[in-house]
Amino acid sequence: MNSECRTYFERISEFLDGELDRDLCAKIESHLQDCPECRECLESLRRTIELCRRMAEEEIDPGVLARLKRAVLEALNH
Amino acid sequence: MQGESVVNHMEKTASNPSDEQLVASFREGSAEAMEIIVERYGNRILRFGLKMCGHLQDAEDISQETFLSAFRYLDSFRGETRLINWLFKIASRACMRKRRKKKDEPDREISLDAWLPERPGDEGRSYQIPDPDAGPDAHLDRKEMKKVIGEAMRQLPPHYRIVLNLRDVEGFSTRETADILEISEQAVKTRLHRARLFMREKISEYFEEEAYG
Repeated sequence: MNSECRTYFERISEFLDGELDRDLCAKIESHLQDCPECRECLESLRRTIELCRRMAEEEIDPGVLARLKRAVLEALNH
Repeated sequence: MQGESVVNHMEKTASNPSDEQLVASFREGSAEAMEIIVERYGNRILRFGLKMCGHLQDAEDISQETFLSAFRYLDSFRGETRLINWLFKIASRACMRKRRKKKDEPDREISLDAWLPERPGDEGRSYQIPDPDAGPDAHLDRKEMKKVIGEAMRQLPPHYRIVLNLRDVEGFSTRETADILEISEQAVKTRLHRARLFMREKISEYFEEEAYG
C-alpha cells in the first residue's frame, strides 16, 4: 500500500456515491486500474452498500402499523 | 383552489393526496389527513426505529412519539423541507433520547486505520462479501442475510448506525442526512465511510467463519 492508496481509500465511499469532482474521479479510476488491492476494496465496499440498501425492502407486519395508527389517534383525542 | 376547502379539494382530486395537501388539510382539522400521514410513513419510521433500537416495542414507542410530536407541531411546519425529512428528524431525536435513557450503548469512535487495505501483517486480505445480484441460493437465503446484516448493524456505535440507516437504508442524500441530524455534511461522509467499512468487516467475518468453520 502506498500513500496514494491511503489518500483514495479515505474518499472511496464518496467515489461510490458520485460525490467527487471529475478530476479526482479520473485520478481514482486511473489508480484502480493499477492497484488490485484498491479494486478489491472498492468492490467489497460496493457489495456491502448494496446489501445494506436491500435491507430497506423489509416490511413491517401490517398489524403493527394498525396498532401505531390506533395509538396515535387515541392519544390525540384525549 | 380559491373558494374551495383543502379537505374538499383533497377528496375530489386524489385518492393519493400530496403531502402539502395533507398538511393543509390537517390544519383545517381533518382526522383523515392524520391517518393518511401515518399510513404513508408509519412503515418507514417503524423500520428505522427497529433498526436503531433492535426491539419492536422500542420501535413502536419511537414511532408513536414521532407522530404525536409531529401532529402537535405540524402547524409550525413551514415546508422548508419534505414532510418525511421532518418526520425523520423527530424520529432521530427520539432514538437518541431513548438510547441515552438506556445508557447501555456507549458511543465510541471507529478508527480508519483499522480498515486500510493491505495494512502491515494483513497482506492479501480478501473480504468475503456475497454478490447481492448472485441470487438467493448462492450464499444463504434472504432471511439469513437480513439477520447477518441486522446483527452487524446493532454492533455499530449508535452515531454511526444512525448515519448508515439514513443514507444507505432510507436513501437520504448527504445534505438531507446532515439536516436531519443537525451535523455537517463532512461529518456525515466521515461517519458513513467508517460505518460501511465496519459493516464490511462484520459481514466478511460471518462468511469466513461459515467457509472455514
